[in-house]
Amino acid sequence: MEPSPKPNHGISAYYQTRAEHHAIISGDWLSQAQAAAAAGHPPEGPPASAAASKPFSVIDEFNHWRRKPDLAEAVAAIMALVAGIRSSDATTMMELEIELKKASDALKSWDTTSISLSAGCDLFMRYVTRTSALEYDDFHAAKLRLIERGEKFGEISLKARRTIAMLGQDFIFDGCTILVHGFSRVVLEVLKLAASNRKLFRVFCTEGRPDKTGLRLSKELATLGIPVKLLIDSAVAYAMDEVDMVLVGADGVVESGGIINMMGTYQTALVAHSMNKPVYVAAESYKFARLYPLDQKDLEPALRPIEFGVPIPAGVEIEKSARDYTPPQYLTLLFTDLGVLTPSVVSDELIQLYL
Amino acid sequence: MPDLQALVTDFVLKLKRRKIEGSQATAKQTAELLRQVVSQQRMPYTNQASVLIDAVRAVGEQLIAANPIELAVGNIVRRVLHIIREENLSSTTAAMEGLGLTAGSDDDEGEHEDRPGLSAAAVAAAARSTLRAPSLQTLLEDIPESAVAPHPSSSGGDSEGKSKSADRSSRSKKLKHDVIEAINELIQDIDTCHELISEQAVEHIHQNEVILTLGRSRTVKEFLCAAKEKKRTFRVFVAEGAPRYQGHVLAKELVGKGIQTTVITDSAVFAMISRVNMVIVGAHAIMANGGVIAPVGINMVALAAQRHAVPFVVVAGSHKLCPLYPHNPEVLLNEFRCPSDLLDFGEFSDCMDYGSLGGSPLLHVVNPAFDYVQPKLVSLFITDTGGHNPSYVYRLIADYYSADDLVVQRNST
Repeated sequence: MEPSPKPNHGISAYYQTRAEHHAIISGDWLSQAQAAAAAGHPPEGPPASAAASKPFSVIDEFNHWRRKPDLAEAVAAIMALVAGIRSSDATTMMELEIELKKASDALKSWDTTSISLSAGCDLFMRYVTRTSALEYDDFHAAKLRLIERGEKFGEISLKARRTIAMLGQDFIFDGCTILVHGFSRVVLEVLKLAASNRKLFRVFCTEGRPDKTGLRLSKELATLGIPVKLLIDSAVAYAMDEVDMVLVGADGVVESGGIINMMGTYQTALVAHSMNKPVYVAAESYKFARLYPLDQKDLEPALRPIEFGVPIPAGVEIEKSARDYTPPQYLTLLFTDLGVLTPSVVSDELIQLYL
Repeated sequence: MPDLQALVTDFVLKLKRRKIEGSQATAKQTAELLRQVVSQQRMPYTNQASVLIDAVRAVGEQLIAANPIELAVGNIVRRVLHIIREENLSSTTAAMEGLGLTAGSDDDEGEHEDRPGLSAAAVAAAARSTLRAPSLQTLLEDIPESAVAPHPSSSGGDSEGKSKSADRSSRSKKLKHDVIEAINELIQDIDTCHELISEQAVEHIHQNEVILTLGRSRTVKEFLCAAKEKKRTFRVFVAEGAPRYQGHVLAKELVGKGIQTTVITDSAVFAMISRVNMVIVGAHAIMANGGVIAPVGINMVALAAQRHAVPFVVVAGSHKLCPLYPHNPEVLLNEFRCPSDLLDFGEFSDCMDYGSLGGSPLLHVVNPAFDYVQPKLVSLFITDTGGHNPSYVYRLIADYYSADDLVVQRNST
């Protein structure tokens, strides 16, 4: 049943994707993403020959899409599911729906740590089951319609970053200092657009141990000519009084309106909150997930390796989780492709959708 | 009939010179002017809605640019745009329903619709959802391009028979008529908002309570008087609202209505707040995140109220609901008034000697007009549609404005 090996038990597949993408990250993936959005097509077609020769596997398909640096996991999941519909030989809507359900369950269980993967699957399933395409009398027309709309959904998702950048850059004013934690493609896009609109601001990047995401972001920003300062992760509180706003991305936005993001976001938000600084989140709407974490431990932990540089003494445990949950009361606004939202609007959206 | 352009210029001048005081008056006059714009607009046969929208938008841009701080102007412009879109939509829907019926009966004309599975109602629902702010639901449930296409362009589509042109021209008059009707309703709403708000007074003000307010707001005055008329006895502390001392005026008015009133200085708010049961204030504008732009001094009252866990209630008509987010409210959305409110002419003239120290005087006078109150400090908004939480404001805004209109202002800047 499982053609590609289950990800290494100790390390989450989600984390691996991130690491892969960010290792090869450079200025050109953004332009690549934009080109893809503008052309209205994903950069390459699916491995059509492979699909023809051997039985279709949604996970292979997903892995194919997931390797593309400009594609978010949720979009990769949607693309994989669309490919699933295309290669399906179901003859009734019901059959197709069951097949899709199976495929999405397989995807979700393949990597339980990825929030955006399951959010993407959920959204797509919702989309299929609630669509007016079901009103068609002809099954093939309906199927085509689903495929078409699935692809359109992928396109919308690609454009999302651009929309968010447009909305978010209004909040950046001349002379402000922005603290950024972690590497996020959306955040980079927001800052990039603001800089190209001749706004003068500077950015503090946290280092982002252990994968040094902040270093990567600072490199990107420096090439854009934005003044950047790197901070070690523990200097957040020290630097906060100079900061005008905190801007972070998100792995997932949950039903409470809070976010799940790279480890350290929670403490950054807490410090910002206690010093009365606004915390803004930039996140695409396909990251809205049907989760309601009650506390930090109420999540599937995404584990990752941590390099300490020195031998770890025997009997010492290491906290390997890669992300934390920031409750909504510490967030000011979320910039999404649906508009600028308060955390309570996010809850509302999700509840309305999955009611 | 007065010349439209002259009217617009006149109003723009008034706004620029800050001759119109108060959001209600501004809102009403803006609506009346836009009604003129709509009624004098010549209507073509097609694309009527977009012609109206362009006309209103053009005038709206001028008005907003004339006084960007008076957010009520922009609000009303957007409300009118929304009205046009909605009326256009409802007439289109009506037309489509008629069309659906005829298309069924006379297929021989060869103008059969090419969207089999979609009922007119479904199209209407989809079109209506495009008026709303985008949401996950609409993102997922949008209708094929082919079906949506007729709606934004015009009432009536290409598929409509030529024989119906007479019918169409009557519909063209109808759209304009409907829009004017709706604007009239809007004006009426602005007029009556005080009554609607003060109707709710008895639900919020209880016997023997102590209410604190700052400065003078007509909405607050009517609210308090309405409670008094319903035989509630309560006391009011009025902070005088320096530097204009509008609180003195309010105190006089309240005493005239037989309400037990105490005047305090602004600096005494913290001293008195522990005796207060509820703070009721007016607002200049309510922003999309639930924050409030209010006369200067109110943020201090809000902080005092929070410190002592006193409910902080803001009363405001729905014309003050602004669909914009305060990006940098302390800087962008403030107005600096004349220093003569603070100092009499000549009083400090020796300190204001421009001759010394390279032309800059030692004494500066800054007289900001507004405060920004964060949403977390507000307990309740009372508008003409009832009481709402700050986090609910976005819903109200989604009801009153369409997402496409939010950027009216940005074109002009």
